[in-house]
Amino acid sequence: MSAVHVAGVSKIFNQGTPKQVDALVDVNLTVEPGEFVSLIGPSGCGKSTLLRLIANLLEPTTGAVTVNGKTAAQSRLDQDYGMAFQQAGLFDWRSVAKNIELPLELKGWDKEKRAARAQEMLELVKLPEFADLMPWQLSGGMQQRIAIARALAAHPPLLLMDEPFGALDEMTREYMQGELLRICAETKTTVVFVTHSIPEAVYLSNRVVVMSPRPGRITEVVNVSLGANRSEDTRAADNFFSGITAVREALRGTHADHANAGAVRGVEDR
Amino acid sequence: MTLVNRLRSVAVPFIFGVGFLAFWEGAVKFFHLKPYFLAPPSKILSQFFDNASRIWGAASVSGMNALVGLVAGTVFGVAMSFILSRFRFLSSLITPLAIALNAIPIFVLVAVLNNMYSITSEIPRRIMVSLVVYFIVLVNVAKGLTQVKTTHLEIMHSYAASDIEILRKVRVPNAVPYLFTALKISAPAAVITSFVSEYFGGSQNGLGSRITSNIANSKNAAAWAYVLGACLLGLAFYLVSVVLENVASRGAGATNNTNK
Repeated sequence: MSAVHVAGVSKIFNQGTPKQVDALVDVNLTVEPGEFVSLIGPSGCGKSTLLRLIANLLEPTTGAVTVNGKTAAQSRLDQDYGMAFQQAGLFDWRSVAKNIELPLELKGWDKEKRAARAQEMLELVKLPEFADLMPWQLSGGMQQRIAIARALAAHPPLLLMDEPFGALDEMTREYMQGELLRICAETKTTVVFVTHSIPEAVYLSNRVVVMSPRPGRITEVVNVSLGANRSEDTRAADNFFSGITAVREALRGTHADHANAGAVRGVEDR
Repeated sequence: MTLVNRLRSVAVPFIFGVGFLAFWEGAVKFFHLKPYFLAPPSKILSQFFDNASRIWGAASVSGMNALVGLVAGTVFGVAMSFILSRFRFLSSLITPLAIALNAIPIFVLVAVLNNMYSITSEIPRRIMVSLVVYFIVLVNVAKGLTQVKTTHLEIMHSYAASDIEILRKVRVPNAVPYLFTALKISAPAAVITSFVSEYFGGSQNGLGSRITSNIANSKNAAAWAYVLGACLLGLAFYLVSVVLENVASRGAGATNNTNK
């Protein structure tokens, strides 16, 4: 059973009005359990829309989305996935531990069980002594780690991430990438990861799904798996650079179809 | 260093205030201003202490009107904001009306309310205060209940949270600081409305009516003494609302919003 199965999905906003936007057209994608798949493409290519369709925060106009063999709607009700966004989105009025406990509260867990799981998650993201602090007392990178801890608190098999490191500085970002790989390996979580950054996608992913805009669609899927033991040395390795080149060429290819500007807009080429 | 800074932040306005009073006193003496034109601060102060019990009595009447109206207006304002945030179409009807009413001096309505109740009744004044408070609380709390971060809503939806759970865990905590902002605005407004509504008839027992009657009798210094009492009452309401806000935000833990 695949973790995510997207079959013939289209998403059209404001259908039949002058403001109609074809956000996604005929998208097919399968993600296997344990896989790390990135969605990359210029602004407006529908990568965030695709993620929200998988999360059932949006309904597809046509086609079907299956998560863990269930409809997307059912798997949302069952909390089969956790989600993290560019903004950590912690609740200012809750302590760090209470933020992590939120999904467990909504599942109706009792107090002791929640507190134990929150502490377990804090140890997973290496912030065990931060339970009683308030979110605003943490740095941006720490807040994002708490957001990941919250997303994984109920031990969902699937993690959906929408540019989670987009607001962090480069040093923190690379550290977070390493931490995310470690956490996913420890928890055996499947990840669908939206990003603007080519190196980030290549470093993290088994497969990079390259998308193009107007209308949003998948143009190419690049296999870039750098192996299980990625480290800082990986960032200097030849297969890392060849992966970057492959994704960049795939993005340029999508651009050649719309030859109207000098560079692929909205994609960080660093 | 911080002690010096704190002393300075207290001393500067204090010296300015004392200097201003000295200038006022000096100007009255120097220009031989008649007491019915401008009373000197020394005279006002002695009038204040001579009439202390009467000022206290009048202040408790006006203060009680303000307090009752403040509590009633807050309760109804909060209740209505919940209804508005639940039924958005009502909000689009009522919010512009509330904002418009906030911009005009609706306290003159007390003249109409006075006709509905007996001449000695305090109810029209209390209704007037609660109306003023009601709209301030309504607009602010409704904003707090509805202007919730998109990321927060998406997170709650991703956890399949019900509307009630979103209300309890996101909208209400988000609205708490808005409620205290509304209280900070409406506490002085309640006192002012309480005074002004005494100008439209009814019992001559509050600070507002005492000020007018003393001026009508050319007892200028006594009128000023009641004005001083009115200032102190307004200040007391404001300080209590600030203290409440501090206590509440310490309970919630965060006033410092860095989590964008």
